[in-house]
This record gives sequence, C-alpha cells and structure tokens, in this order.
Amino acid sequence: MDNNYILTLKNITKEFPGVKALDDVTINIERGTIHGLVGENGAGKSTLIKVLAGIYQPNKGEIILDGKPCRFNSPIEARRAGISVVHQEIKLAEPLSVAENMFLGNVQLKNGLVDWKGMRRRAWEIVEDLGMDIDINAQVSSLTVAKKQIVEIMHAINNNSRILIMDEPSAVLTDRELEVMFRIVKQLRDKGITIIYISHRLDEIFGLCSNVSVLRDGCHIDTIPVASVDRQGLINMMVGREMGQEYPKEVGNVGGTILEVKNLSRGILQDISFEVKSGEVFGISGLVGAGRTELARAILGIDKPESGEVYVRGKKVHYRTFADAIRDGLGLIPEDRKLQGLVQIMSVKRNTTLVNMKRVLRAGVISSSLEEKLSKEYADKLHVVTPSMETEVQYLSGGNQQKVVIAKWLFQNSEILFLDEPTRGIDVGAKAEIYRLINRMAKEGKTIIMISSEMPELLGMCDRIMVMHEGHKMGELNAAEATQEKIMALCS
Amino acid sequence: MSTKATTLNSKKSVGALVKDWMSLVGIAILIVVFSIISYVKFGAQYFLTWSNWKNILLQSSTVAIVALGQSIMLLTGNFDLSLGRMVCLTSCVGAILMKNVGMSTGLAILIMFAIGLAVGAVNGFMVSYVGVPAMIATLGTQYICYGLAKLLTQAVPIANMPDSISFLGRDYIFGGVFPVCVLLMIIVYAIAQFVTSKTRVGRNLYAVGGSREAAFFSGINVKAYQFGTFLLGSVLATFGGLVLMSRLNSVAVTNGQNYEFDAVIGSIIGGVSLAGGKGRVIGTMFGCIFLNTLFNGFSQMGVDPFVQDVLKGVVLVLAVTLDVASNKKKS
Repeated sequence: MDNNYILTLKNITKEFPGVKALDDVTINIERGTIHGLVGENGAGKSTLIKVLAGIYQPNKGEIILDGKPCRFNSPIEARRAGISVVHQEIKLAEPLSVAENMFLGNVQLKNGLVDWKGMRRRAWEIVEDLGMDIDINAQVSSLTVAKKQIVEIMHAINNNSRILIMDEPSAVLTDRELEVMFRIVKQLRDKGITIIYISHRLDEIFGLCSNVSVLRDGCHIDTIPVASVDRQGLINMMVGREMGQEYPKEVGNVGGTILEVKNLSRGILQDISFEVKSGEVFGISGLVGAGRTELARAILGIDKPESGEVYVRGKKVHYRTFADAIRDGLGLIPEDRKLQGLVQIMSVKRNTTLVNMKRVLRAGVISSSLEEKLSKEYADKLHVVTPSMETEVQYLSGGNQQKVVIAKWLFQNSEILFLDEPTRGIDVGAKAEIYRLINRMAKEGKTIIMISSEMPELLGMCDRIMVMHEGHKMGELNAAEATQEKIMALCS
Repeated sequence: MSTKATTLNSKKSVGALVKDWMSLVGIAILIVVFSIISYVKFGAQYFLTWSNWKNILLQSSTVAIVALGQSIMLLTGNFDLSLGRMVCLTSCVGAILMKNVGMSTGLAILIMFAIGLAVGAVNGFMVSYVGVPAMIATLGTQYICYGLAKLLTQAVPIANMPDSISFLGRDYIFGGVFPVCVLLMIIVYAIAQFVTSKTRVGRNLYAVGGSREAAFFSGINVKAYQFGTFLLGSVLATFGGLVLMSRLNSVAVTNGQNYEFDAVIGSIIGGVSLAGGKGRVIGTMFGCIFLNTLFNGFSQMGVDPFVQDVLKGVVLVLAVTLDVASNKKKS
C-alpha cells in the first residue's frame, strides 16, 4: 500500500435504474493535499461525494481509507471514519448559536448533562485558531452567507475530520469572502487535513489544488497535477471536445437609450444614475450586499423607490407592481433559480408559458396544443435537454433549469431583461450556451442588464460595466478599458 | 441531473393513473365489496340501488360544495378551518331572518352571503396581507363564527324553512328522480374544474401553490390570489349552508360541524396535494362521495356509528401517507 495516499477509490461503480452514474472510477488522493474534482453537471461528482459520505453505497468497487478497505452504510459511519462534507446548500440550524451549530450531532456530555461550557470553549478555540471574526454566541440566522459557510466548515472539522469534502463552497461567495475561505482551506491543509474540492470556477482549482480529477459522463477521465494543464486544456477534458472561446462576446445591435435611471434612492441605494442603450449588455458588478439586486427590484416595481426617476423609452415610469413592469417590456431572471425562477413542481411547458399565458389562450381558454407547440419551439431554440415538455423542471439539471427561465422571458418577449447571477452553479458547457443566448438577444436589439459576482464573466460579456459598493455607484467602465484590477479598485 | 431525467418515462403508468384517481378507484372497490356483502348477508341487493345512492349523493352534496373551497385553498398552499362554522353561522342568521324576523328570502340570502364574505375577507386579509399563519387566523374566526351562532340562536334549533328555498335541498328533477342539490354540486365542480385547468386564473393558482416566490417573480399578484381563494371559500361555505338548511329543513348550531376537516379529507383522497400546487379539484367531489359511500356501507352492515369517526381518521392517515410516500419516491 502506498502510504502517500490517504484515500483510494477503486473501481467504483454506482448504478441507478437505467443510468450508470459512476462507471469504474479509480482515483487516488494524496495525504494532506487539496484535491480538485471537476466535471460538468451530471458528470457524477455529486454521486461520487455521496458514495464517499455514505449516503449511497456503490454497486461495485471499494473505498480504501488509510490502506484499509471500508464500507460506509450511512453518513454516520463515514463521519466516524473521519470524512465530512460541506454541502453546496448551507444546512445549519438557523435559530441556534454558532457554537451550538458547531456541535450539531456531536453534543458533548459531562456527568450525563450537556457540557455547554466545554463546547463553547472548544468552539472559541476553533474560531481563534482560524483567525476568524465570528461571535460563537451569535445566532446563525444573523450571519452573512459567507460566515455561515465558515460555520459549516468549522462544524465539519470539529468532527476530527481527516478528509473534508467541499462541494462548490464558493458558489455564493464574493471575491473578497473567497479570499478568506481560501486562507482557511489552506490552513486546514497545513494542519494535515486532506481536502477534496469541487468547483465550477476553474480559477479556484488552479489557485488551490495540487491535483485535479476530471469526471465526464460518470467516467474518470484523468487525474493530473494542475501544473501540467492549462485552463483551456482542463475545459476540453471536462467537455470532451474543443470548447472554443469561453466568452464568445459579439457586439449587439446597439440603438438609442432605452432605460434611464436618475438619482434613484431606496434603502441602501444612494443616488444611482445610469443609462442603458437598446441592444447593449450592461454589467453591474460589486460585492454581495452592494445593492445590485436591490437596484433591479427598485427599477422593476418590486420595491418602491424613495426618490429618483426611471425612464423607459424616454417616458417616465412609475411601476406599482412587478406585473406593471412586465407589461411594459421588462423582465427579471432572479438570482435564486430554484426558488424564484421556476415553479419546481410544474412542467417545463407550464413554466415556459407562465408569464405570458395570453399567447396560448384561444377565446380565453388555454389551448393545450398551442401551448405544447409554442413552448416546444422555445425549448428547442434554447436546447433545453428534457425527456418531455411535461417533465417537472425539478428533474432537470441546473443549466437546463436556467435555460427554461430564459425561455420563459423570451416567450414573454421582454425588451429589457435583468439577469441576476445568470450562470451561478452552472457548468462550463451550459454557461457558454447561456452566453450565446445573451449575444443572440442583444443582436435582436434586446437590452441585457447582467448582475454578476464573477468578474471574468462581466469582463467577457458586457459592453459596459457599472461598479457598485454599499449602495453607491462607484463608476462605469467601457469593455475596452475594464480590467479586474480596475473593478476591484472601484468596489472597495 | 439530466441523465437521470431522461430515464423518467413521460407517459403515465397505470400506477400513476390509479394514484391520480385514487378516489374513483376507491369508490369502485367499495361498490364491489359492499354489494357482495349485502348479497351474502341479506340475500338481496340493498347497497347498489338508486334509492341508496341517492342518499349517498345527497349526503355528499353539501359537504362537497364546502370542500371545493377548501381544495382550492389547498391548491394554493392554504387552508381554512372556519369553513364548517361559517356554514353554521350563515345558515343560523338566514333562518333567524327568514323565520323570526320575517324578512324576504332573497334579502336574507343576500345578508347570509355578506356575512360569509366578511368572514372570508377577514381570513384572507390576515393570511395574505398581514401574514398570520392560516391555521391561527382561521381557528380564530372558527370560534367567532361558532360563538356568534350560539349567541344568536341560544343554541335552539330552528325548524321548517320557508318553501321558497326548499327546491335547493329537497326537490328532484329529471322526472323527479335526481336531487337538485346533487346537480348543484356537479355544476359548481364542473365550473371549478374548467376554471382551474383551462384558464389563466387557474394556472396562476397552481403556480402560487407550487411556489409563491416563483409565482411572484412571474408577475402574479400572489397576495390577491390568496385573498381571492379565501373569499371564494366563504362564498361556497355560505352556499353549502343554504343548501344544507334547505335539505335538513332546519338549522342548528351543529350544522356544518367538522365540515372543514371532512373537506380536507375529501380533498386529499381526491388527490389534491397537502403541499399545494398539485391535484384536480374534481377529485375532491369524488373524495367526498368516497367517504359517504364508506359510511353508508358500514351503516348497512350494522357497524356502530361511533366507529365512523375512527374510520375517518384511519382513511385520512392512509391517504396522507400515500400522498407523502409518493412524493418522497419522486424526489
């Protein structure tokens, strides 16, 4: 047995009825390293994690931990063996304190009673050790998303984990919060904890990991040192073909000013002014909490502006509800695709037509055949991969779900479309498709206002970028002059 | 995961169809079982006769009319505990106005609906605009309605309703064989089924029940839709109360008792999901008929009537278990 490897997955196969989610996967993971795991949605990453975490049991193959074959029949067994998972979605008990959350499922007893004092001391030690500024007595619901994520990590390592699996921990963090998390991840590695790091953001893989394993369609493609591959090469391994450009920016059909915001204030938003032309892709950059989503909401009639004016096509508008804004040709692809973007238990067909049902009415009555035909047209146009138009969207992958959200607003034929974090948690292949859709909409003269925490995406896709910080507009950059450094300089 | 989704068959399996129409399958099973038992036990068919079925349908009609409102609220992710006592309050007020005050029937009915709507508006306002949990808001109005009804009638039953309303609950059509109130039940369900499945309003109701947030971000006025369902529920409860006072030809404070729960049971047996956003309202009608078929059959078998409540509980738990289990399997 090679003692270099803390964990070996040997010929792991996991089948579901009709699908081989993992096909003969063999991966070695070196002790005390950060090991990247990449692949498109549906490549088998989640299944692999679930096998390691004891949620699924493999049909074939074995897990060798520290040279000993083991079998985890439940998540508890995996945790006892020292494998912890920080899941993509934060799973904390919100009304409880930080310290209480760190000991969830692991309550310490003293003389048969809960040892609060001891647990608080231990929690405080962990927080101090990581150099974090978190009050262990604070209620978790009062923390920012980034801090909640860190509480998750602390919960995991408090379990004396030897292997920490992190499933897209960065999806909800801003760049600055990411730095803190990277520092923590590196600290943990230096303490001898082995980390398996899953991310769609390849920068992180290159910045953090020493080795990376690529999965595609349930198969292990390769495990290589990150130093031996470049970004494009890694993408090609993931998708199994030449990807072409990551940001296929094309110039849209730019016309006159279509949206003008003057001195808008509301809540944290202070005196925001900007103009957008039709056919333009206008980016809004800034950290989470900079007021980007709030700005979209105030323009779209979801929240009432306290002062300031909004002009659409030169006309001053006062949207009293979001429905007013929709009727006037505006639309919003909201940041939370699962909760806000789609009715998960409704079919692809019904989600597509939900905003603009008028198009499928005949004499006031829904025409099933018309609805089927029209929604299918849009699904085809957007390459939505779905078994049928009747499939509930909850069964689609993240990328395909986002395409259905876009289809819904294309179906409504909105002229001015706000996209709030349109590619969050979506794999590279689907991302590129969404970028091409943005191009196409701009070509058709539609106006795109893109809110994103991913700077490369804004730099790659936008004509102009407005930078916000704590509710203020800090500046505006043209695509030609914008760089990541310039944006960072503006938003801090 | 797209690979997983492709394996899901888009065509409905037999199992799914049975689950969709659980109430109808249940009624069919009851018919077979009870007719056989009747034949074996009495040597003649007492169960599967038109006069017995007229009874079953008559008994189902009023509760089914009230249950329609409940199932539409369940569709949007709400429920209303005050419906049964709304039946009671509005019919008590109606009877007092018609009998004791001597008011014209038309005006009395108008006032009944006004009172029902007022209760529905209070429920709807509290739940959708103030954000009071539906359970608390409607539990409160339930007590208010019941208390008022007892206060107004001093808990004394009022008998002999005016002839002008007798056609609602006691008349027969189609050659004097088909009860009017059963026809009324079928009509309201036919309208509701059409509206919920074929119109924009109906689709929006499903969207609100499926996800309030997603519905809001699709430009649907979620609060107004929720408010509207409470109003509709109160109108149907009042209507149910009116039919009931005509059918029983009397009014008592026990009228409509437990209707709200029977309505929930009927809805769930009828396939309306407790979680909201799924099911057909027409199923609720069959769900209510199923319950009454079950009780009718057991009475014929000579089962103690007090066992009926126990059975109701068993049926409810079974139906919900099936609903939850099938949802779990999918996700």
